[in-house]
Amino acid sequence: MDSYQKLLAESVLTEDKVFTYRLLSRTLRVHPNTAKQMLYDFHKTQNDRRPGAVHATYLVHGAKKANVHLNGGDGDVDMAHSSPDNESISEDIPVLTLSLVPEDQLKDTLAQYEEVSSIHVYSVGPNPVKDMALLADVAQEALSLGPAEGPSPGSIVNSGVRRREREGAPRPAPKTAPQPISKAVPQPAAKAAPAGKTAKQEAKPSIFKSTPASSKAKEEPKSTQASKDADTPTSSAAAKKPPASLKRGGSANSGIMQAFSKAASMPKKEKPSAASNPATPSGDDSSMHVMSDDGEDDEDVPQPKARAAGRKTKKQREEELRRMMEEEDEDEDEDEPEKAPSPEEEPMEEAPALEPVTEEPAEVVTASEGGRRRGKRRVMRKKQIMDDQGYLVTIQEQGWESFSEDEAPPATKAKTASSAPAAATAKAAKKGAPKGSQGNIMSFFAKK
Amino acid sequence: MVTLEEVRDKSLLQKPSGDATEALERSSSNYHPLHTFTLGRDLQYQQQFADIYFLRLTKIKPAVEKVAEASWEGTVIGGEKAKPVDRVLDVRQGELCWVTGTVYMDMPLKPNILEDVSKDRWISAPTTIDKYYSEDGGDSVMLEDDSGRIRLVGEIFDQYVLVTGCIAAVLGTENSNGEFDVIDVKFADLAPQPERWELSKQKEEDVEMTDTPSPDQGKKIAIVSGLEFSGSDTSYAMELNLLLEFLLGEALDPTTQGELAHISRLIVAGNSTVPSEEVVEKKAMKKYGYDSSSYNALPSQLFDDFLSELLPSMPITLLPGASDPANSSYPQQPIHAAMFPRAKTYTSIPDAAEPGWLDNVTNPWEGEVEGWRFLGTGGQNIDDMAKYVDSDDRLGMMEAMCRWRCSAPTAPDTLWAYPFQDDEPFVMKECPHLYFIGSQPEFGTRVIHGPDGQAVRLISVPSFSKTREIVLVDAETLDVSRVKISV
Repeated sequence: MDSYQKLLAESVLTEDKVFTYRLLSRTLRVHPNTAKQMLYDFHKTQNDRRPGAVHATYLVHGAKKANVHLNGGDGDVDMAHSSPDNESISEDIPVLTLSLVPEDQLKDTLAQYEEVSSIHVYSVGPNPVKDMALLADVAQEALSLGPAEGPSPGSIVNSGVRRREREGAPRPAPKTAPQPISKAVPQPAAKAAPAGKTAKQEAKPSIFKSTPASSKAKEEPKSTQASKDADTPTSSAAAKKPPASLKRGGSANSGIMQAFSKAASMPKKEKPSAASNPATPSGDDSSMHVMSDDGEDDEDVPQPKARAAGRKTKKQREEELRRMMEEEDEDEDEDEPEKAPSPEEEPMEEAPALEPVTEEPAEVVTASEGGRRRGKRRVMRKKQIMDDQGYLVTIQEQGWESFSEDEAPPATKAKTASSAPAAATAKAAKKGAPKGSQGNIMSFFAKK
Repeated sequence: MVTLEEVRDKSLLQKPSGDATEALERSSSNYHPLHTFTLGRDLQYQQQFADIYFLRLTKIKPAVEKVAEASWEGTVIGGEKAKPVDRVLDVRQGELCWVTGTVYMDMPLKPNILEDVSKDRWISAPTTIDKYYSEDGGDSVMLEDDSGRIRLVGEIFDQYVLVTGCIAAVLGTENSNGEFDVIDVKFADLAPQPERWELSKQKEEDVEMTDTPSPDQGKKIAIVSGLEFSGSDTSYAMELNLLLEFLLGEALDPTTQGELAHISRLIVAGNSTVPSEEVVEKKAMKKYGYDSSSYNALPSQLFDDFLSELLPSMPITLLPGASDPANSSYPQQPIHAAMFPRAKTYTSIPDAAEPGWLDNVTNPWEGEVEGWRFLGTGGQNIDDMAKYVDSDDRLGMMEAMCRWRCSAPTAPDTLWAYPFQDDEPFVMKECPHLYFIGSQPEFGTRVIHGPDGQAVRLISVPSFSKTREIVLVDAETLDVSRVKISV
């Protein structure tokens, strides 16, 4: 029962953190009302021990006295022009006021109230809160701890809730961290950090693979891997996808990246869903996938900072690690197809642009090696892609990428998916990357 | 006056009791949106706007004539008996008569398309003028129909709000200057009002409804406007957070939470996001085509987060507003679901029979909520109308709109609108029970009554970003209360 005392003492007194009831409720998985009482109890016991040790803010709800809100209602507007038979006076309407006040102002605020229907501790912190807007960051943190789906604990539930039933519908990723509002403007890199929690996991493997210490030296392979990662999951909608992603990931990182780092939170949740349903083509997914690989690309840039800046609890980190492992399993699936086609592709190194041609259209899903060879007839391929989607020819790059993935995983998945340890995956990916078509494209650009 | 001692015994200012609080169940929402303002998919913009005026006049004229006849029939002034005249052109000098037509306000400050054309300005920028109304009396009122127009004079216009596009009947005589000296003015007054639950009853006949009108007492509908999630201004982020916690029922104590559980629906009346201010930087590198780095997705992301947090607990009707990513001309079409990658799973699929849990609708929007007919807009119609008149009495303007039976009279003159050909949706065929307008400078509400016992609750919903207020409407009585969030 007193575990919360310990947690709060640790966080508030030692780490100087501010705790809102919501954050506490979600950290401890208790009902918000219980969390409010916990905060109150903590505040009381600490201040009994040492006055001024912790500072609280209160949320007060009730009716204020009439003279406090003189400007309520626009009853005094001069109405020379209104229709004569109806005086234009707004009714006097009761106002319930929700106030968030620091404890030192609580007494004054309460004095303004006629009646208080509800009051509770909103937050406790080591220092008096000067700017309430700072609590918004904590609130955002609380949101990020919320459950992936359904109502958060303690909020009013609605049994009538309807969701769209659609194959491949993007489910909000668990632990999606909405961006703290205040961080939005100034530093794009730091901003992407909390937001990219989920997406980061996607890219993390590449860090581990390429090594913790000397990441700079291996910048190049990493980015190729990342770009590959970015491309593989887009299986279904790949044909519709604009071609830019490869180039972006490989060469033109900085400029465009920054633009999209703002959008980081959007892509990050599309990604997992796309990865989990690689084989379900769905009508209106194309737009999201365009975003999704952008999100991946982002990760190359702000990653180091993202990890450094992570102010996560141990629990979170563990959770993340666990998820990462799962993610890696998935990655493996995605890597597998890379390796398979690579021997064939190698001779094509000089002209990466032609590669896309080698694949079969969506109709011949079961085509194996032989099928691919047949697909090398470039002209045929172009035509068909245009017929289906009406997109530019370059799209074929994507079409080939994802298609091979579609094909291969069923065969390899059973073997490797669940059992392979992370290290093995890393190795495999490492090996695959330079050989794979992505590497070819990089070299193409390098020559230029 | 409340003192600290008085609130000491509140349940939440105690040690954790360990009582298990059971989850509250939110009241169900009875909801039937209408698609009055939905534009078809294959619409053209080739046609002229004149048809709107023609259709509006044709639709409202009979009602106005009926009112005029009822009050002026047999009127004798100066030994002369007033007669109805069919067309504006048929007015004879010196004869006492009444005639019905569309009002046109000739104002020097008002943007004039003819002027633009004559000066070879083919791209019209949105006007920046706050008021078209000018103090010096340079404004004049005209009445026109498809035959011609006549200038109206008379002191009576001081008593009435008049804007371009409303339909009126005027009683008077044409004087020697060719002007019509007006003695009295009549409007159509409130349209027939549907019964409560009318749409639900119709539906019931078709299908066996599971959510028939339930005797759920104390239900409320929340209306909020101008959330204005911003990419740069974070000054009210905390208020938005509190609003979310309030609506979710996580804040406050169990008693209040029980009341909050009765809020069955949230209506967002426009201006949910603000486009971030353009930081104009001349970049050395030349970019071709669309520069995606100039777009800041943060506002819509934040709004998406807000919606997706709230949606599991509460259905939402979302109207676009002037600053939202929708088309700018009236009627604004729904914000595309792609703007809300997280919340979009709650929207309905296109052409679905059932409204989505997150129902992104048009602006203006009409529908039945808890049996009452709601009509709401994002605020542009009132904002534009306010430019025509001297006062800033938004409720008075809302009332005038209801009495004119037109929810956007100034469209298409100064309020940009789609050039309708076959239908004029802004005409209020049926009088709503509740008429709300979003993004207003301040809160206001009033009930107006019509000649046939109609009663309309008018609400001007203030912009949350300015006033930190939301409006709660009682689903049984349509009584209004406000919640203010102060930090």
